[in-house]
Amino acid sequence: MIGWIRRRLSNVLAVAYREALVLRHDKGFLASVLVQPVTMLLLFGFALSYTPANVPWAVLDRSDTTASRRLIEDVRTTGYFLPPTPVYGYAQGRALLERGDALALLVIPQDFRRDIAAGRPQVQLLVDGSDPITAARVLGYVGQVAAHFDTRRVDGAERIARTAAVDARPRFWFNSTLRDRDFFMAIMAGMLLTNLCLSISALNIVGERESGTFEQTLSLPVSTLEIVLGKLLPLVGVSYALLTVAVLGAGLMFGIWPKGSWIALGLATLPFVLASMAVGVFVSSMARTTAQAVFISVFFILPSFVLSGVMFPYELMPPAIRALGFVFPLRWYQIALRRIIARGAGLEDVLGPCGALLVIFGVLLLGIRWRLKPRLA
Amino acid sequence: VSRRRIWTLVRREVRATFRDPFTVSILITVPIVALLAFSFVISSEVHGLRLAVLDGDRSPESRRLIADIGATGWFVPEPTATRGEIERALRGGRLRVGLVVPADFSRRLREGRAPEVQLLYDGAEPVLAGNAEGALRAVVAASGAQLVRHSAPRRGVQVTTGVLFNPRLAGTPYMVAGTFGFVLSFLTTLITAVTIVGERLSGTFDQLQVTPATSLEILLGKLLPLGAIFAVDVVLMMLVAGALFGVWPAGNALFFIAVSSFYVLVSLSLGLIFSATSNTAAEAVEKTVLFSIPLVQLSGFAFPVRNMPTAVQWLSELFPATHYIRVSRGIYLRGEGPIDLFPELVMLAIFGLVLLLLARRTLEARA
Repeated sequence: MIGWIRRRLSNVLAVAYREALVLRHDKGFLASVLVQPVTMLLLFGFALSYTPANVPWAVLDRSDTTASRRLIEDVRTTGYFLPPTPVYGYAQGRALLERGDALALLVIPQDFRRDIAAGRPQVQLLVDGSDPITAARVLGYVGQVAAHFDTRRVDGAERIARTAAVDARPRFWFNSTLRDRDFFMAIMAGMLLTNLCLSISALNIVGERESGTFEQTLSLPVSTLEIVLGKLLPLVGVSYALLTVAVLGAGLMFGIWPKGSWIALGLATLPFVLASMAVGVFVSSMARTTAQAVFISVFFILPSFVLSGVMFPYELMPPAIRALGFVFPLRWYQIALRRIIARGAGLEDVLGPCGALLVIFGVLLLGIRWRLKPRLA
Repeated sequence: VSRRRIWTLVRREVRATFRDPFTVSILITVPIVALLAFSFVISSEVHGLRLAVLDGDRSPESRRLIADIGATGWFVPEPTATRGEIERALRGGRLRVGLVVPADFSRRLREGRAPEVQLLYDGAEPVLAGNAEGALRAVVAASGAQLVRHSAPRRGVQVTTGVLFNPRLAGTPYMVAGTFGFVLSFLTTLITAVTIVGERLSGTFDQLQVTPATSLEILLGKLLPLGAIFAVDVVLMMLVAGALFGVWPAGNALFFIAVSSFYVLVSLSLGLIFSATSNTAAEAVEKTVLFSIPLVQLSGFAFPVRNMPTAVQWLSELFPATHYIRVSRGIYLRGEGPIDLFPELVMLAIFGLVLLLLARRTLEARA
């Protein structure tokens, strides 16, 4: 039994050694391993965000009093808005909204100050709903500014302000300012590893089949599964290097270090890398040409980014779409990454996702054996 | 330019495309799958989110508050016994939101003082936490106002809101309009790059160049049939989005098809340039994929360009996709016409002209 295992292992290692030699001379591979982490860290660290900024808006101030000007100033100083465009009629404001030159129109009525004195001030806010995420946030920001607008400071309106019936105190754990950068940095490794594992392993076998070297390897006294495992082994090493780059990059550039166990991070990565590479090999076994393999893997990578929850929270998706996302290895890995990196979880918290990843890996291995076998005949 | 020669080249191209069942299935499935995947992913609504509730008071008032929260359907309250339990649930990612009602909740209500409740959110999911905060705050305020019998006027200013173009703030129309930009930029470039490199490898491209056809004719012979095929794709996507999601363009559909067809030519030229400058299919694909990462991220498809730093905003203006996505959202969501979109259309025309000329130059250099 031990001899059998040792024989198998040496077969796998021999294939792995050959594979490492090939990879070291692949310029495209080296470039993508070096360039991609830097691009992604810069993009997601500095450039991309869901938080509205530079929002253009318009104000129709019919009251034109200190009180109304202070309300406008309060909205502007939230920092999400550009200086407002003053408009002098409803139609003019609506035209700005329709052209997309303003995202929101704040209408302050003529009686604003008298309404404050009477204790029922009201303003109207029109927003462009075509970008729903920004629109919802803008509604929220203006609503909060208005709710906290201190009507007592308006002279001539000596009123005793009464607070809301129930005082709700929000606290945001793990990321108190809700910065999008933390959201993206937590799963940076997941995105980079998906790209690496899928594109490399998908191209690998098809490319070899096209150049005929795969048949040569098949003539060796090793089994198909040993070849596949041997091919994957050097990539596992590269994957851990990439994980280190992603974690160090986020830590050194943005000060976002994993809050939880580093050991758990390392352990959870292995089943994910194996499962992703198995997807790549499976794709490779389905495709006849390199071009086809690329197409299939690219169109696997994209939905897995979109549906796994790395870019958009999956809990807000409709149930069917949410369920569909569970077939992608990235879904489970992003759950594990956010637990470890963002929330400080330990190994016992990520056992579930790791188990799911191993199941995906196992199913794919069976699929690969079934797909590659007939070609031996 | 000879019309007869172009027509021959077009017929050849159409035949070559339809002979490969893989290309045909890609052309049909990818746009539809992209529509299905992207249309549902963003939402500003919270629905059925599990909410850990620690009721320290257990009075009729606190139960009323919790029942009101559950009745909205936005949250599903789950009773918990201790704060530690909420903390563990948040850390393990099992729950995203928690509500702590203090023991003196009902007493303070009776005494006419505002009781404090604590709302806990998982900040590791900023979008989710932000949406949940808005919804939960609104229910607590509404329910609280009913609990207080001597309902006092609140501090602050009431805001009545109106939403134009998309009153329910649904995410689907926004993403559908963006998906046109994604498919027409990415799939077009990728398909041209791959097919042309394939032809170069098999030698059929060289055969074309020794025929009397000029480089412009070869270029048009490639672009026109592929452009027509993608124009059919545009119509197919419009029908699928309309039939499945009920999302039809608010503006003129013919105007949308016309602009989209022109944009297809722009990105096809880009694919031609990529393929003419690559030696292998893998290289062409690598170029396309490397180019398309910033394309997806910086074109405004997923992240509004407005939110980016100024320098990056300028960079994103250099992608034709940024302008096309603006146009497609303008027509689809706000019903804009050629006059409203004039600056973007001019930009697209400039990009088209420059890229077509460049594509022709690279083809000539290869001859």
